[in-house]
Amino acid sequence: MNAISMLSVAMLRQLAKILSIAFVIFLLVRVVPGDIADMYAARGDYDAHSVTQIRERLGLNESLPSQFGQWAQHAVQGDLGESMRFGTPVGAMLTGALPSSLVLAAASLLFGLTLGLTLAVLGLVYPKSRVVSCIEALNIWSIAVPTFCTGIIGILIFSVGLKWLPIRGQMLLPILIVGMDVAGQIVKPLYIELKETSNAAFVRTARAKGLSRWRIAWRHILPNSLSVIVALSGVILSGLIGGTLTVEVLFSLPGVGSLTLEAIRGRDYPVIQASVLALAFSVVLVNLLTVFLHRLIDPRLARTNGITS
Amino acid sequence: MARSWFSWHHLAYAMVAVSLLVAACGSALLALDPLEQNLLSRNLAPTAAHWLGTDNFGRDVYARMIAGTRLTIVVAFLATVLALAGGAILGMIGCIVGGLLRTVIYAAFDIVRTMPPILLSLALMVALGVGTSSVILAVGIAYMPLFAYVARAVYEREMASGYVSAARVIGAGPWAIATRHVLPNITGAMLTQIAIVLPRAVTTESVLSFFGLGVSPEVPTWGRVIASAVEFAEQTPTALLFPVLALAMLTLSLAVVGDRLREHFDPLRPAVEARA
Repeated sequence: MNAISMLSVAMLRQLAKILSIAFVIFLLVRVVPGDIADMYAARGDYDAHSVTQIRERLGLNESLPSQFGQWAQHAVQGDLGESMRFGTPVGAMLTGALPSSLVLAAASLLFGLTLGLTLAVLGLVYPKSRVVSCIEALNIWSIAVPTFCTGIIGILIFSVGLKWLPIRGQMLLPILIVGMDVAGQIVKPLYIELKETSNAAFVRTARAKGLSRWRIAWRHILPNSLSVIVALSGVILSGLIGGTLTVEVLFSLPGVGSLTLEAIRGRDYPVIQASVLALAFSVVLVNLLTVFLHRLIDPRLARTNGITS
Repeated sequence: MARSWFSWHHLAYAMVAVSLLVAACGSALLALDPLEQNLLSRNLAPTAAHWLGTDNFGRDVYARMIAGTRLTIVVAFLATVLALAGGAILGMIGCIVGGLLRTVIYAAFDIVRTMPPILLSLALMVALGVGTSSVILAVGIAYMPLFAYVARAVYEREMASGYVSAARVIGAGPWAIATRHVLPNITGAMLTQIAIVLPRAVTTESVLSFFGLGVSPEVPTWGRVIASAVEFAEQTPTALLFPVLALAMLTLSLAVVGDRLREHFDPLRPAVEARA
């Protein structure tokens, strides 16, 4: 099979995946006993008759597959429905929340990548220094300590103790915390990969030419090890989504995470559905991008026709 | 590294042991009721009567943490067991039967794997409703792929090995090969995955509780204790600090202990290290 058909197969697979994810999320959100109409009724504003009317208007009486069909049809056209609580279009709510989340995620990713790359290269250049134990510590910290614990400790130190930053609304602490998480995820695999690459013949050649250790590490070893970061992009993104979700709630930032949680608390189905799906969609999109990026960064893959699923 | 009588790992072992002990003894260690509210002694710093102070409702923080230890550990443990049972057993059955069943099972796991665990368990909690068994189910399902894919990898590796071909030549059927030959070889890899999943299960449960979607409020887990204290961070920092430190220490210790266990049990690890 040639490259183009391989890639289109990969795309079809991801498309099938996003459809099934959409359906699963739809089911999960709809199997809840008690819908929005019940919630109105519980508040006491409506009698049984008007509750039935609300159900009919919102299409809650039809079968689940047909509800999903209708929803999907509208969603493809960019219409994600209306918030059951506020009556505003869900699409507008999402696009309103997106910039804040994107800025947070992008800044965290940038900080995390910089920190991770620097530490891993430092560890390679100075293998007997403290940097290596730093790498170990950061790795196990990011895996083991929940983001919100780090966040709360940060709040207690910098907001409550030192009073340098406000608790709510600032983005510095969230970026540092999520970024450290990202750095911890990539730093150890990258370090191991760097060490492995440093055994290659071309590194011996570079050393024989008399290049400095720094130059060898940055210019020769690092570019040949970058594919490990691409391979980890799924893990990174998963951490990024979980992290932004948590810090947004903790620091009261108006992003997709806060939107999702608010919607869950208010049983606002269309909003829950759309925001969870948007997050899952971003994962699938990145998975797809990974396939392309991998071949771009590591031409060996294109030669062997290898595609990781 | 020089060997001395003390290393940081011992601290991790100690922390895990103490947590297990507290979880086992539970309310025997309690002098005060974790749910009793006393509005006269709100927001206290640690005193002789309240070792770790009180929270915004005058509840004893130490009592709440001790009471929460058992549920925190039990929920994480059961969720891990569920993930192991669901992931490994379904995965193995799929591998053994093969064909369509295998495709369907792994397509399902692929969908689960695509969703970040926190996001998926959040969506599952929406469907299941708040409660202890829902949390176990939600976290368990979210981590099933971690077992299923390792089970498949080990299964495929073993099936390609010489002794399995030999067993096949003698006339052993697929189920006999799987149970008698492959299963014993899969335990090491599964123990490794347990070590990876257990601290994450603690984390995920506490995040759910922190979001207000975890166990019911009457029985606090550490995540719940933290969630109820976080609004009053400025009034009572101590009510927040101690549970957070305890939770971070527990997950960190579990990860460290798990990492050590993995070095003992993982059959793949030495090969990787020799290569690096």
